[in-house]
Amino acid sequence: MEKEINYTDNAPIMKIKNLSKSYHTLPVLKDISLDVQRGEVIAIIGPSGSGKSTLLRCMNALETISGGEIWFKDTCINRMKKLPKLRTEVGMVFQHFNLFPNMTVLKNIMYSPIKVRKEKKEDVEKRAIELLKTVGLEDKKDVYPDTLSGGQKQRVAIARALAMNPEILLFDEPTSALDPEMVGEVLSVMKNLAQTGMTMLVVTHEMGFAKEVADRVVFMDEGYILEEGKPQQIFEEAKNERVKAFLDKML
Amino acid sequence: MSFLSSLIDITYKYRFMLLNGAKFTLIVSISTIMFGLIFGILMAMMKMSKIFILRAFANVYVEFLRGTPVLVQIFLVFYGLPIMGVDIPSIVIGGVDMSRLISGIVALTINTTAYVCEIVRSGIQSIDRGQTEGALALGMSPTRTMYCIVLPQAMKNIFPAMGNEFITIIKTSSQISVIGIAELMYVADTVRGISFKPMEPLIIVALIYFVITFTISLILKRIEKFMRRSNR
Repeated sequence: MEKEINYTDNAPIMKIKNLSKSYHTLPVLKDISLDVQRGEVIAIIGPSGSGKSTLLRCMNALETISGGEIWFKDTCINRMKKLPKLRTEVGMVFQHFNLFPNMTVLKNIMYSPIKVRKEKKEDVEKRAIELLKTVGLEDKKDVYPDTLSGGQKQRVAIARALAMNPEILLFDEPTSALDPEMVGEVLSVMKNLAQTGMTMLVVTHEMGFAKEVADRVVFMDEGYILEEGKPQQIFEEAKNERVKAFLDKML
Repeated sequence: MSFLSSLIDITYKYRFMLLNGAKFTLIVSISTIMFGLIFGILMAMMKMSKIFILRAFANVYVEFLRGTPVLVQIFLVFYGLPIMGVDIPSIVIGGVDMSRLISGIVALTINTTAYVCEIVRSGIQSIDRGQTEGALALGMSPTRTMYCIVLPQAMKNIFPAMGNEFITIIKTSSQISVIGIAELMYVADTVRGISFKPMEPLIIVALIYFVITFTISLILKRIEKFMRRSNR
């Protein structure tokens, strides 16, 4: 479980500098700075409307930003023209899965590697089935997403994102749309994934997951990062009153 | 009894004219449907474009074409094309002047484009935004996302309304008889003039129109059923 993250390495995989973002005149992110190291699992927590999801969506350029910079490896993504290229390296898992209902599970997973990355069909299929095994759904490869439960859909969505071999995986409230009894199966897939050394940013309301799996927890409210640190620093020794009040209600 | 026999008599006597008329009705309708579909999809893309000028053009186009009578549009194209310097040679093929036929198809296509545009746009907008985001997040280009992910799904919603539009086109094509294209309505007028009987030719062409549209609506229903089944 214990893994080594090199915090001293001064080349983080993603570097956010003084990021701000507004919708028209409404500011949603204010002066956000955050470094993400390779292999790190970061949980982003906080009340609804605090800008957590927006922050995540800025990281693969699904949202345009109003100020500041986001660096992925050595490119500044808000000045980047080739967004599809960026998004093959920064994967995303959504709250509402966003599986394609007109394709089978296998085709959902194989589509982008074949069409976008131009990989060989046989290689992709092998990898797709391997991924389905790791999320425990290899028997569902030929069904359509509509016949799956929410938890199964989300596991397929994770497999689909992984099939692109991303360097970072962003999770936007992956368990918020699920029935309570299905949350566990998705979280355990994510936990296994974290142990493989995948760099993950997870916006979540699952405090147990944040505490147990995350290397670092970021607390956001009203567009600011109020506090960040190791899970125990946030959950047990929080300094900020707002953070304490929120966590008291959640735990 | 005598009416029925005169009906049969006229049908038989003018069968070649009537068949020829039906042929031109089909030629005009099918061409209009094909071009209307292509230009309608393009117009819908313009209407949803990020570029203001394209969006404005599509909006004005759709509003203008939906807000003016087809008959006026047909005459505008018929007299307007030569004025604009588009000269189509007047070759007569199968009793129909090509320049008139092409004017007719152009006019109907211009009209249909507006309606197809609206059908396609509403179909595309009925697809959840998450589908677009899901595709983009997998590294697909915006063009691929639209044409390979969103549009195929939208087709299921678009199809029934599009079927209605096809049938409307077949009926609307009767109006291009005013610029002298020998399609069904024109033939009905001609036969009326020759035979001095107003009712019979109208009833005959009404039946022919009905057979055409009803056949198409049966086919469309079949396809719709098949598409619904293939969803899962």
